[in-house]
Amino acid sequence: MSDAANLALQFALYVMILLMLPAAYRVFRGINHAERLQGIDLITTLLIGIIVLLALVLNSSFVVDIGIALAAFSFVGTVAIARYLSEGRVF
Amino acid sequence: MSLQEIIGIVFIFIGVFFSAIGTLGVIRLPDVYTRLHASGKVSTLGLVGLLAGTAVLMPQTTIKMLVLALFMVITAPVASHAIASAAYHLGIKPKAQRDDLAHRRGTPTPVVNGE
Repeated sequence: MSDAANLALQFALYVMILLMLPAAYRVFRGINHAERLQGIDLITTLLIGIIVLLALVLNSSFVVDIGIALAAFSFVGTVAIARYLSEGRVF
Repeated sequence: MSLQEIIGIVFIFIGVFFSAIGTLGVIRLPDVYTRLHASGKVSTLGLVGLLAGTAVLMPQTTIKMLVLALFMVITAPVASHAIASAAYHLGIKPKAQRDDLAHRRGTPTPVVNGE
């Protein structure tokens, strides 16, 4: 990839990393559990985007599998915590 | 910069743009329910833009991109719905005037301007 494309990719990567700060702010400033859980969900979604961008910057298609695994785990985790919050049990 | 790179970069910036708007929404919106709309934008539109850009820039990962995009588009609404129902069970009243689930809980539905 040409330098300009690489530069643009790194800029997009930095923007996504910077976007995680307001999401982390929402997790710390969350008044109740649901807001904090939603902040965590947002952070993991942004993290998946960052991993995909990293796969581009590092130019290796193996890194994308990490993103797929994180997507699966973050979904299961979010639904488990949400179920625990609403019904007090997970299974 | 070949045409393929330009298209990929445009898709990626569309994805980053929607992620930024979604994250901004999560910060500014008043309560959990409206914020879930914003975080839904990030996990569907933001990510699908990024994945489309990656698929264009690295054609050998197209199948993985499709799998990840399909997975995110299916699971993100389910996760948002789970969070919303958890918030409702926790007793968080939506700031919006209407409470459509109120009749199930037996709480009186707030009558607003004769609705």
